[in-house]
Amino acid sequence: MIKGTAASDGIGIGRILLLEETALVYTPHTVDDPAAEVERFRRAVDALVEETTRDAAALRRTAGEKEALIMEGHISLINDPALKGETENLIMGGQCAEAAYETMCDMFIGIFSSMEDEMMRQRAADVRDIKAGLLRILLGVKDVKVSDAPKGTVLLTKELTPSVTAGIKKGNIVGIITETGGKTSHSAILARALEIPAVLSVPNATGILKNDQPVIVDGSAGLVIPDPSFDELAHYTDKRERFLKERAELEKFRGRRTKGADGAEYELVCNIGKPDDAEKVIEFDGEGVGLFRTEFLFMDRSSVPTEEEQFAAYQKAALVLKGKPLIIRTLDIGGDKEIPYMGLEKEENPFMGFRAIRYCLKKKDLFRTQLRAILRASAFGDIKIMFPLITCVEELREAKAIIEDIKKELALLGIPFDRNIDVGIMVETAAAAALADVLAKEAAFFSIGTNDLTGYTMACDRGNANVAYLYSALQPAVLRMIERTIRCGREAGIPVGMCGEAAANAKLIPLLISFGLTEFSVSAPSVLRVRKCISRWSKEEADRVAEKAMTLSTEKEVSEYLESVI
Amino acid sequence: MVQKHFTVKNAQGFHMRPATNFATAMAAHPCSVIIRFNGKEVNAKSPMLIMAACIKVGSEIDVVCDGEGENEALAAAAAMIESGFGE
Repeated sequence: MIKGTAASDGIGIGRILLLEETALVYTPHTVDDPAAEVERFRRAVDALVEETTRDAAALRRTAGEKEALIMEGHISLINDPALKGETENLIMGGQCAEAAYETMCDMFIGIFSSMEDEMMRQRAADVRDIKAGLLRILLGVKDVKVSDAPKGTVLLTKELTPSVTAGIKKGNIVGIITETGGKTSHSAILARALEIPAVLSVPNATGILKNDQPVIVDGSAGLVIPDPSFDELAHYTDKRERFLKERAELEKFRGRRTKGADGAEYELVCNIGKPDDAEKVIEFDGEGVGLFRTEFLFMDRSSVPTEEEQFAAYQKAALVLKGKPLIIRTLDIGGDKEIPYMGLEKEENPFMGFRAIRYCLKKKDLFRTQLRAILRASAFGDIKIMFPLITCVEELREAKAIIEDIKKELALLGIPFDRNIDVGIMVETAAAAALADVLAKEAAFFSIGTNDLTGYTMACDRGNANVAYLYSALQPAVLRMIERTIRCGREAGIPVGMCGEAAANAKLIPLLISFGLTEFSVSAPSVLRVRKCISRWSKEEADRVAEKAMTLSTEKEVSEYLESVI
Repeated sequence: MVQKHFTVKNAQGFHMRPATNFATAMAAHPCSVIIRFNGKEVNAKSPMLIMAACIKVGSEIDVVCDGEGENEALAAAAAMIESGFGE
């Protein structure tokens, strides 16, 4: 058994097709007729552009629009005037086309590989791909045709390039193994788009595994099992059946509204950390964003992001969501994070200290910049503002007054924004839960942050192994906080959501439905599973479970009882 | 010769798509187009060179157009950079 990175869920059982890098061997030589050599080079470039255009069209059919666009990006690189021009200069100097092109490509590969930005490092793979493509054409080497692979083929290659992917027939390729690439690499994204189980970053895979060898690929666990025994085959065949059944079962919930067994409707939205994640929300069928953490904008840099930068990020997320709700949480930062330019001091007790809304209300300029950027972006979608770590009414009032002030400014300048923008709060402290009846009169919505609410209620740090056993959203004390918050919101007529991990917890879902939660905000890949979970509960049935659960005295009893009813 | 100063404001800077779109748009103009950044001069008609320059959000750049149609080229460059490449 060999361990790698689990990159695309599912089980594949088949025989290996090793895609060896075709030997692209040539002897660098000087050419007598450089002009003719330039012509030969140009014909090869044209042929590669034509081939790549065909591959992009194939990819559009199998893997989707986004992947096809990446392939089409290759065409601009192949046609790059600097790459072509410099290659031709080298040829005119007497080099053969192969050597000239390889020199230029390797220079760019070197530059891109040394960049800090992961996205830019992937450009090195693109250039390697086009270099191999052009050398192949120049040398007249035939490519191993992935498209001819028989049913039950497991692809084994150093790196899954878009041009290899373009040849994949979904029905025939049952698994992918590569030597490089992580969960977010291009190989991984392609494998997921094709729904083919994949294990990446298997060290020396092309050395250990052999062509035509029987193999099992467990893309969920990140395992490769060469020459499986009879028992292993039986076990994984079974596991594959279950996986496929469950996936088909979940797929039925795609594109559907989120409803309980009694037809009651709920909102099922996602937590995101970057504007790009908004695309994942759409991919996984989320109904909007219940929590957009804005900290990423402030980290890994040397100064506060400008209003323009922030506006661009919020606007981008709003545009991708096309009118679906987008709740933006203002900066939630404190002494536990290192952000040198923010002047945060190391604190004895950062979670009880100068952080989140407390910090923002003291650093008014920074807070105003963020709020102004959010308000401006509100002209481009259904944006709502949410404040973190509220503990008393004064904080909410002061923050809302700043928003009103900025609204006046924007109106005077004639800058468009949503005049009726909703302003709500995170309920994530014991204080906010206790004061929920009062806060509900001044907040447009609540969102329960169960991670912090559990920590603050149980006075326990889940990172501390000695006390972590206390950390559970199923603690009777935490359940009471949640129940009270939702009830107070309901009585005041405001929506109450949950954006902690607990919102996706199958055990907690019946309780949340019974208490009257209206919005579940979960990670994008959990959307279909949670929609399915919700679909099996009617309010009446959930009420019965909640009534019993709330009479139990310990976390263990609650957990065991809920386990027995789901 | 005409030139203009910009602060790059789209979150991703000049990564693949903006660099490619920008270079393609600039290639349509007969004049030369150069991006000055960090003391370097980059041929703005080459997506590879633009990406290799590592221009990020917040970067200060000058776009310099020289030759036939230089005003049109600069106006087109400004429209793209200032709109944040429609991101």
